Amino acid sequence: MNIDYSQELPVIEGRITLADIDRLIAKPLDEKPDRKFFIALSITLTLLLIGAISVTYLFFNGTGVWGLNQPVGWAFDITNFVFWVGIGHAGTLISAVLYLLRQKWRTGIARFAEAMTIFAVMCAGIFPIIHTGRPWLAGYLTPYPNQHGLWVNFTSPLVWDVFAVSTYFTVSLVFWYVGLIPDFGVLRDRTASKLKKVIYSVFSLGWRNSHRNWQHYEKAYMLLAGFATPLVLSVHTIVSFDFAVSIIPGWHTTIFPPYFVAGAIFSGFAMVVTVLIFVRKVFDLQEIITLNHLEKMNKIILVTGSMVGYAYGMEFFIAWYSGNPFEQFVFINRAFGPYAWAYWIMVSCNVIIPQLFWFKKIRRTIPAMLVIVIFVNVGMWFERFVITVTSLHRDFLPSSWGYFIPTIVDIGTLIGSFGLFFTLVLLFTKTLPVVAMSEIKAVAEGAQPSHHGGDH
Amino acid sequence: MADQNFSQNQNPDPNYWRSFEELYSDKKTLEAKKHEFAEGVTDDFSVDKNLSGLSRRKFIALLSASAALAGAGCSDYRDKGEIIPYNVKPEEVNPGRPDYYASTCNGCVQNCGILVKTREGRPIKIDGNPDHPINSGKVCAKGEASILNLYDPSRLQFPLVKSGGIFEKTNWENVDSKIKSSLDTASGSEIAILTHRVNSPTTKRLLEDFKVKYPSAKIYSYDVFHNGIKNSAWKKCYGADIFPLIKWDEANIILSLEGDFLGVEGNVVEQTRLFANRKDVNNVKSFNRLYAAEANLSLTGMNADYRFRVLPDQQLTFVLSLLNELTSKHNISSASLDANANNLILGFSLIDFASKHGVDYKKLSLLVNDLAANRGSAIVYGGRALDEQTQIAVNLLNEVLGNTKLYHADQTDVSHSVYTSLDEFKTLVDSMNTGKVKTVIHFDTNPVYHLPKDLQYEKGLTKVSNVVTLSEFENETAFASGYVLPINHTLESWNDYNVRTGVYSLQQPVIAPIYKTRQKEAILLNWISANPKNYSEKLYLDYLKSNWQQNIFPILSSPFTFEKFWVGALHDGVITTKEKADLNLSFSTASLSEVKPSKETSNFTILLAESYRLGDGRFSNNGWLQELPHPVSKVTWDNYAAISEKSAKTLGIKNNDLVEIKYENKKVTIPAILQPGVADNFIAIETGFGRKYSGIIAEEAGVNIQPFYAALGSGNSPWILTNVSVSKVDGSHKVVSTQDHQNFDDTLTKDAHLKRDIIQEGTVIQFLKNPDFLHKGKEHHAPNMYDDFAYNDVKWGMSIDLNRCIGCGNCVASCNVENNIPVVGKEQVEKGREMMWLRIDRYYSGTPEEPKVAVQPMLCQHCDQAPCENVCPVAATQHSPDGLNQMVYNRCVGTRYCSNNCPYKVRRFNFLNFRDYVANGHYQEDSVSLMHNPEVTVRSRGVMEKCSFCIQRIMDARSEAISKNQPLKGSDVQTACQVSCGTNAIKFGNINDKKEEFYQYRNHKLGYYVLEELNIRPNVTYLAKLRNTHSEEV
Repeated sequence: MNIDYSQELPVIEGRITLADIDRLIAKPLDEKPDRKFFIALSITLTLLLIGAISVTYLFFNGTGVWGLNQPVGWAFDITNFVFWVGIGHAGTLISAVLYLLRQKWRTGIARFAEAMTIFAVMCAGIFPIIHTGRPWLAGYLTPYPNQHGLWVNFTSPLVWDVFAVSTYFTVSLVFWYVGLIPDFGVLRDRTASKLKKVIYSVFSLGWRNSHRNWQHYEKAYMLLAGFATPLVLSVHTIVSFDFAVSIIPGWHTTIFPPYFVAGAIFSGFAMVVTVLIFVRKVFDLQEIITLNHLEKMNKIILVTGSMVGYAYGMEFFIAWYSGNPFEQFVFINRAFGPYAWAYWIMVSCNVIIPQLFWFKKIRRTIPAMLVIVIFVNVGMWFERFVITVTSLHRDFLPSSWGYFIPTIVDIGTLIGSFGLFFTLVLLFTKTLPVVAMSEIKAVAEGAQPSHHGGDH
Repeated sequence: MADQNFSQNQNPDPNYWRSFEELYSDKKTLEAKKHEFAEGVTDDFSVDKNLSGLSRRKFIALLSASAALAGAGCSDYRDKGEIIPYNVKPEEVNPGRPDYYASTCNGCVQNCGILVKTREGRPIKIDGNPDHPINSGKVCAKGEASILNLYDPSRLQFPLVKSGGIFEKTNWENVDSKIKSSLDTASGSEIAILTHRVNSPTTKRLLEDFKVKYPSAKIYSYDVFHNGIKNSAWKKCYGADIFPLIKWDEANIILSLEGDFLGVEGNVVEQTRLFANRKDVNNVKSFNRLYAAEANLSLTGMNADYRFRVLPDQQLTFVLSLLNELTSKHNISSASLDANANNLILGFSLIDFASKHGVDYKKLSLLVNDLAANRGSAIVYGGRALDEQTQIAVNLLNEVLGNTKLYHADQTDVSHSVYTSLDEFKTLVDSMNTGKVKTVIHFDTNPVYHLPKDLQYEKGLTKVSNVVTLSEFENETAFASGYVLPINHTLESWNDYNVRTGVYSLQQPVIAPIYKTRQKEAILLNWISANPKNYSEKLYLDYLKSNWQQNIFPILSSPFTFEKFWVGALHDGVITTKEKADLNLSFSTASLSEVKPSKETSNFTILLAESYRLGDGRFSNNGWLQELPHPVSKVTWDNYAAISEKSAKTLGIKNNDLVEIKYENKKVTIPAILQPGVADNFIAIETGFGRKYSGIIAEEAGVNIQPFYAALGSGNSPWILTNVSVSKVDGSHKVVSTQDHQNFDDTLTKDAHLKRDIIQEGTVIQFLKNPDFLHKGKEHHAPNMYDDFAYNDVKWGMSIDLNRCIGCGNCVASCNVENNIPVVGKEQVEKGREMMWLRIDRYYSGTPEEPKVAVQPMLCQHCDQAPCENVCPVAATQHSPDGLNQMVYNRCVGTRYCSNNCPYKVRRFNFLNFRDYVANGHYQEDSVSLMHNPEVTVRSRGVMEKCSFCIQRIMDARSEAISKNQPLKGSDVQTACQVSCGTNAIKFGNINDKKEEFYQYRNHKLGYYVLEELNIRPNVTYLAKLRNTHSEEV
């Protein structure tokens, strides 16, 4: 526990040889899945099945199987959408922004976080489609030339969403794949299986570890990182426009873009920590994904959590300061109205509980941080719920006020999205290296030329 | 040489050749020429052979054959019955153009004149007949929605006969002969015919003819709600049978005592119109002032300028105290105030009454002053539920004040039957039990549900060998009958009605009977005819015509022949004669001897009120009416015990808790609703619910309060029960409403509608002093980032006068019919998914004891800068150049973003296919689709919809104007809500046309927009309500 913060910490602990790194990371890929894996997979598949049944039931009957009603046109659907898009943000931040900032500690967690980004965006992308009354017409949301001369409405934030999310998904996927190419090369070279060799050969795109390969790779990776970086800010900004562009008090708020981005990173890091705690244990990667990594992420959670807390306070301040009675009503109603329970869950989980990370001991204690990050995940889901539902349920005319109660299908769909996410995560751990081998090797001790001549 | 050559040539046409071979007569070529196709090309196709050898021709033939087969085989090619095109087009039917027929509604005893819109032979909309002198082009919500009854799949479709406890389908010949033979053999034993009030002179004659043929027949007549007590009190005071009609529009001051003349009592359509005539914003000085003293918060009380909470059993004391105050303080004297009367009054004092019952004496003094100052131009109206003594006292009060001037002197209500007294019904049941009655005919009545339970009528029926029920729907009585005969709907029937002196209204069918039904009059007529086997549809028509020719035509001294007159009368739907009633207005003071105030009871008092929507229960299977929100509580699909907050607290009752109400030995358990404005120790319950057998829609809707039905015709009121005990019982029943019950204690939400300027109000005095009071110091034109669209041509707008609007809900019912609005069912209303495009918002302010009520019709405001439009990702909602906010259903994906962004929340989303969803797809059956307005798309699930300003009517008027080569005027279009509005509160038109009447309503000084500060520029103007109180402040 006595860490010397005066100099940069080693990114990986201990002295693992380069070959050991390969072996360690490729181990899950080399071995047949064990019982534990199948138990875990059966659980996630069950969750996914619940989701699939819920969505099938939804398609068969219509949006009415959810608890939505007249004032509350969006509830779990958009809450889940924003939640999952938010989860994705940590991956992009870690892989792109921290890469550009030359934060070497990112290497241990970048691959996993990026994979989570892709899976989270996949989960998110389902909701805008299934939330529509006629999902079979969801294609109308894309601008395509047609004989009717019909065009999408470019003033609608939902159209911006379509572009933002699809761009985000594409760039994340390409970025992730480019990062994987050297690793595919390694895997190709290591494997004895003929089938695997063919697959890895195809995906490694003829990687030969040549200088020229590396030169091109580094350039491409950096360009893509630069390309992905603005998306960290833009995607959730645009998602926040879904609300901010409207005229509904509680939605019509200029603070939303930065507030949403901070919230997205906050929730994304919480999710990454949640998953990595298990991954490093199960796959024996404690030396590569170290406590230092987790602590750094916890610090980011503390910072972004406080930013979110500031935004909560600022919303109230502006509501009071603006003198707009509708705005004031919405916020008082949020904190003390029928949905006060949701509001206070959100505040305690997002603002109060993460403050425990001021204590180093808690930042570095696995069980404590696990509890906290799960609270953060819950709190951030509720944040989106509070924003979406409490603003809608009591808007301008008291005559149209209502109350949203979720149905079992609402909950089933939410569960299903978690099922999809974790199923993909599990499959990922068994099919691809969860840590970037090539990058880790670059930051391993002795990998780089140094004044000490690698002599320790 | 050449000849030789050519002779060798066997080419038959030597002048043309296609090849040298042909020219030189090559044998092979000539042989080939004889066959059109080359060898192998036309070989028969066989799958066994190698298909690669398939010829092109064969291939194409095969291809087209299989395509045709696939097309025919995969399409839903079921024969759906006969389709007969118009070989000869009926003269009156123009495809795509509606026809209108005048007829008469038979939904209640008022028999309003109606105008039925039909399309290609199908009636699709009922509106009032503008030529009708009583209802003047308007009908109530029940009348509007009654078109659903015609197409209701639950209708009885063929005669049924009970054998061995099970109903079996049969045919008319069979039932006719069986019933006829039993009638013929009845000799001497009684044939009882139970009917509601008979308003038709021809039906009356038919019943008389029936009695001639079968002398042992006896006619019994009843209604659950009627003016019996008012009439008998009138008879005691003035000697005439029927309480006179009131000139409501001439009353400056109206005092309503537990009365609901704007809601359910009398011809509401006419009364609301006359009442609202004195709410003209262009003549604010002439506003009438309505006082209501009532225990229940009725529609009338909701619209009162002053309202006092007075229990029904305190009303007599209240009236006598008023008399005392008027005579003692205002020195009013009258011939009718003889010594006895003075003695009677002397014992009462208004100030004592006020202090004893917690009524504000200051407010009462205002009433007394108004009554004294407006002698002869005020009216005191005693609700029909009040007992006879109170009615007599009310008559005296009007007499003393000289208000009898406001009674119509030459016109009264007319009835062609006399209500049967309870004693007579008791005798009937006794006769049934002793076997003296062989046959009972229920002439479209449901006495098992309607008559007091104590009579044990149902038990009596079991002793009757021959029970025949004529009904449109299954009902409780039908289930206790041996024969159930399906009868025609109003729109399939002929008849005449005479409910007023000199007004004869005709009913004509606008569609042939959809099912194997017969008109109820025709059934009886057939039984007394010479040969019942010769029944024809024209049977009753001929009878009706002959009756008119003999009895009504002669008194008209018409210049036309009867046939000509008849066609004209059918066209108009109504004729008026010069008959005059003679109103005797000499008050008999002897009547006062009966007025003896009884002791007031300390326990609960119950008022049984007529349902605003279901009447006496006959509309209970009508989904539109079940779902139409109660005008005061906004409750749908249920009746409930309306109880005051204070009484509820004492009993520990919350909303939806079940309460047990005990009166004598009878009990009813019913959910309670805390209703602001209701008197303490009082409960009001509506009738017409809790039907046992009525069709799938009414199942589980409400509670039957029949056990409380009591004495008909006695001096005590059958609708008011005193000394009732009420207690909370375990359990609850969720009563759903379209608007939440307002919480008076929550400071956050209290008076939100006033704080937000959604409801803007003033008083008459305030307005007269400063007509600009509403807009003083307010900024109205917020800046806009973009240039406004110039609406140079027609631009549609609406103006809703909150002074005239009483919140009855007729417009909602009319809109539902016009725009094919689905019924969603109670479960969906509970979730907040009702589909009505137009809703009446109701807001309370003040205290739960004495709430001020405001109502506001709320519909799409068609904002110029509509917030719904810019957020739709697929541009499915758009603005038209004539200012309409339009929905493109086909393009709608259903993101619901538009609805979220609508500040008025007037958009409605098809969360499910509601037609399929309600009562196992009841409203998706074929017959219902016949009812739909063909000009309005029936929306599928997943689509957003909302008020379109009746665009189909606008387009209709536009094409009409184009065909006439005239400019389209705003007044050419009338929206469905506007047409149905009994008080003319809704005005619609072109906001750019300064010459039209609409323009002055649109730009009236009282006009305001709801949520104007959002700068979305709505196009519905609301005219602020002016309360006619004595103060300057609301």
